[in-house]
Amino acid sequence: MDFAQPLIESESVTTKSKIRHILVKPSENDDPPKLDDMLVEAANQAASNVFGNNNTDSSQYPERVIPQSEKIEENALVVIFESFDNLDFCYAKSGEIFNNRNGHFHHDDFIGKPYGSKIRSRNNQGYGFVFLLKPTPELWARSLKHRTQIVHELDASMIVFYLNLRPNMVVCESGTGSGALSHCIMRTIAPHGKLYTYEFNGMRAETARQEFAKNRVGHLVEVLHKDVCGKHGPGGFDRPQASVDAIVLDLPEPWAAVPHCGHILKPNARLASYSPCVEQAQRTIEELKKCGFHSIKTMEFRLKEHYVDEVEYDPPPREKRPRLPTHLGPTGKSNTGTKTATDAEAEKQEQEEEVTKGQPAATDQASSDNATAGSKRKKLLVTRPFAMMRGHTAFLTFCTAGNTPQPDPNQ
Amino acid sequence: MSESNDVVMTTSQTSESDPLMILPSNVVQEGDHVILVFGDGRQLFAQCLKKLRGKAPPVKINKRTYPTFNLVGLPYGTVVEVGSSKLHPLPEGEDVIPKYPDTNKKGDDSNEGNLEDAEATAADNTFPSIEQANDNRDLVDNNTSQQLQQRQVEKMRRTGMEGATIVDTLIENSASFQNKTEFSKAKYVARKQLKYQQRCRIVRCTPSSLCEAMFLKEPRKMLNLREDTLGQILSYSNVCAGSHVLVMDNCMGIVTGALAQRMGGYGKVFSIYPGQQPPYVDMIARFNLNFAENSSIKWVHVEDVFGTPQGETPTSAETEVDEEKADRELLEWPCPLQDHTRAHLEKMESEKEKRDFLARRCARFTRKLTRGTPGEAKEMLNARKCDSVVIATKHDPTQSLIELLPYLAPSSPFVVFCEYIEPLAECFRELQEQRLAINLRLSDTWMREYQVLPGRTHPSMNMSQSGGFVLTGIKLCPVTGINDLDEEIMKEIKEKMGGRRGKKSSNKKKGGKRGRNDAGGDGERGQKSRRVEGK
Repeated sequence: MDFAQPLIESESVTTKSKIRHILVKPSENDDPPKLDDMLVEAANQAASNVFGNNNTDSSQYPERVIPQSEKIEENALVVIFESFDNLDFCYAKSGEIFNNRNGHFHHDDFIGKPYGSKIRSRNNQGYGFVFLLKPTPELWARSLKHRTQIVHELDASMIVFYLNLRPNMVVCESGTGSGALSHCIMRTIAPHGKLYTYEFNGMRAETARQEFAKNRVGHLVEVLHKDVCGKHGPGGFDRPQASVDAIVLDLPEPWAAVPHCGHILKPNARLASYSPCVEQAQRTIEELKKCGFHSIKTMEFRLKEHYVDEVEYDPPPREKRPRLPTHLGPTGKSNTGTKTATDAEAEKQEQEEEVTKGQPAATDQASSDNATAGSKRKKLLVTRPFAMMRGHTAFLTFCTAGNTPQPDPNQ
Repeated sequence: MSESNDVVMTTSQTSESDPLMILPSNVVQEGDHVILVFGDGRQLFAQCLKKLRGKAPPVKINKRTYPTFNLVGLPYGTVVEVGSSKLHPLPEGEDVIPKYPDTNKKGDDSNEGNLEDAEATAADNTFPSIEQANDNRDLVDNNTSQQLQQRQVEKMRRTGMEGATIVDTLIENSASFQNKTEFSKAKYVARKQLKYQQRCRIVRCTPSSLCEAMFLKEPRKMLNLREDTLGQILSYSNVCAGSHVLVMDNCMGIVTGALAQRMGGYGKVFSIYPGQQPPYVDMIARFNLNFAENSSIKWVHVEDVFGTPQGETPTSAETEVDEEKADRELLEWPCPLQDHTRAHLEKMESEKEKRDFLARRCARFTRKLTRGTPGEAKEMLNARKCDSVVIATKHDPTQSLIELLPYLAPSSPFVVFCEYIEPLAECFRELQEQRLAINLRLSDTWMREYQVLPGRTHPSMNMSQSGGFVLTGIKLCPVTGINDLDEEIMKEIKEKMGGRRGKKSSNKKKGGKRGRNDAGGDGERGQKSRRVEGK
């Protein structure tokens, strides 16, 4: 993925300014300081004020940009977009074929094509097609094989946002699961941040590790096969005290990990806990309060999706109410009791007449309608929420660590 | 910096002195903007200043201004109590709603024991007891249970009595307090404390806290952009350190600031502005951005993106001279004194006067030396395609997006925010018809907060009903993304191939045909109809 690529540095306005610290020799005698020395001192001070952090070296501020991968290269990860609900992925290798229900797609057709291309199948007359997309954590989450229930993109974006993640942070995550959230976190903490992700299932940990390496994000993450809750053996994250900027817990028993979190989090750092059940959230919050966390907030986020459609509504219908033929009024009917064949025939004829009479009237109506509403009725652009939505994923509990150091629960 | 313009930096080479590696300090710095979050949910902006020097008063609480010099140096997250003339920092462990009774002062903690017991037993129990000894059967709600007169309470406040003491007095004089349930006792105390013992927490300005505070204060000014929607914009636009993002921001600069902060000084945020100079200076200052983050925001003028109004001739690139750039390039660090300046300085009498003059002069030159021009921003924007486009504007979203899409690299995401759904529906339809993008999704969010307490968990009584709508999608490659011509070529290829593959495909003809029907002639339409079936 693009975010994991090494950055390209180039000259910026700031580096061209050649601002740097200039040494001033302190005057040895008690002469009043020279004007030029005063100027240099003032300049040094001004530079330090502008850059902050006592830094006066403008060469530290080049433009740094990620390289843009425009064309699909050999071994590159490609997201294959069949339809909105149907995404897949592959690593482009010459000679290989990707198969889905739309047909066979040759990797040789992928390589060299720009991302965002439409590819036709090599069988079934080339009627089947897919789109090739550049991977993003969101697309990846939708195309990967779920090993566990994954954290969906809305929840993932909320976790990253409310944890105030930013580049170069150190983050802990437990458990790894399918690695969907891990990619989201890594995107935000790149280029020099580090994600420590803990998984108690050995196989999932190994699969995740291989997947990260294949997606070329391995340098941003360390997968540890460990139960942070310490059900069997010591728990915890094995990180030094107050060394972590944020923690995400997605565990069946998050409360057991909370004391360890309090120990390794930096002061005023953020923690998020993702639990489907309110009882889990409740017990976690009790534990969080004991460990000095504050500003605890439990939230729920639901995504409401909408269709867009065009509709054309007709005006309310105008037509004649069917009436009984006049010569067969109520008196006539009550007299006969049962319909004779001739009566029925007459009625039928009458109805037919009614229909033929009615038709020109109806067209008249329509034409007059058109005349008032203009030559063509305007289509209405409408939206409607989807009939079904995901009703619940999890309760997200966010909180802030206190400023007092917490003891290591393992000691 | 080496001579060549582009130097590839490997990720393992992390220089220790790299200023971008320094995370924001955990201690309030001079000049920092902070948010004061009160127990009742009020949120106020404050700037922590040691000296005022004619600046706006740092913080106004209850129609009173308070100095903030004593907040500088405190760690973020500290709770302060609002005194009569000062904000008093409290020791670590205090919360915005004080513990009752204050164990620091009183030995008697029988009452607290009750409250704590109720919570403790509940915490251990899977089915917490919500049964109470007292209930409301004898409650007479005739507003006479408080024995103190309003005047007496006011007097206590005016004499500068401590908040905790007032709360204690109020409770002692309440006739009905002892008959309340433990829960309603706690509620009563908290209500009195919020009024007479106001406390707030110093919270760092981050995109989430800032947007939340602004949404409470002036949602109309920022197009009703709720913080969770901002969070989605940041994620779905796939921004990361080193991205090029093109943003059109009419939400007071919150989107621009949040993007710059998310990118941590790497990459470029191209923010489009109209008028004479970059707007939203006040709001962007509230993000406490460092130098690198600030200079990663490149202000691009609307003329350089959308062109000039009809009838006016645009200035041609050849004839235009970037005066500001030329001016900057004349400067040289550390800006040697010119003769007339030297003469002017030498006339000054005191050394302090000279130093002040030089400090001002150097600050001005340093700012000038490190500031890019709109012309340069335009060049940078045209030099490379952007990695994402973000639109949160009061202008027509459809037209804005269609005109900004050429700047976006193929297969890159865009996010359009609007407080109303109809403009986005139009945009959606337009993108579909012109086949410019796929993966289109029009959505909004439902956000709800919960009170989680043993035996008393329920959603908050009030919630925000709308935080704005978001349209996301991925741009297709304009050449190879819509290849209707390709069909001919593909047929040719297949005719040539024949042989074994032809045989194979004849076996699978049935499956092939189904595939064709499913994919449909038009990707988006097929996608839409399937979504209908799926849901």
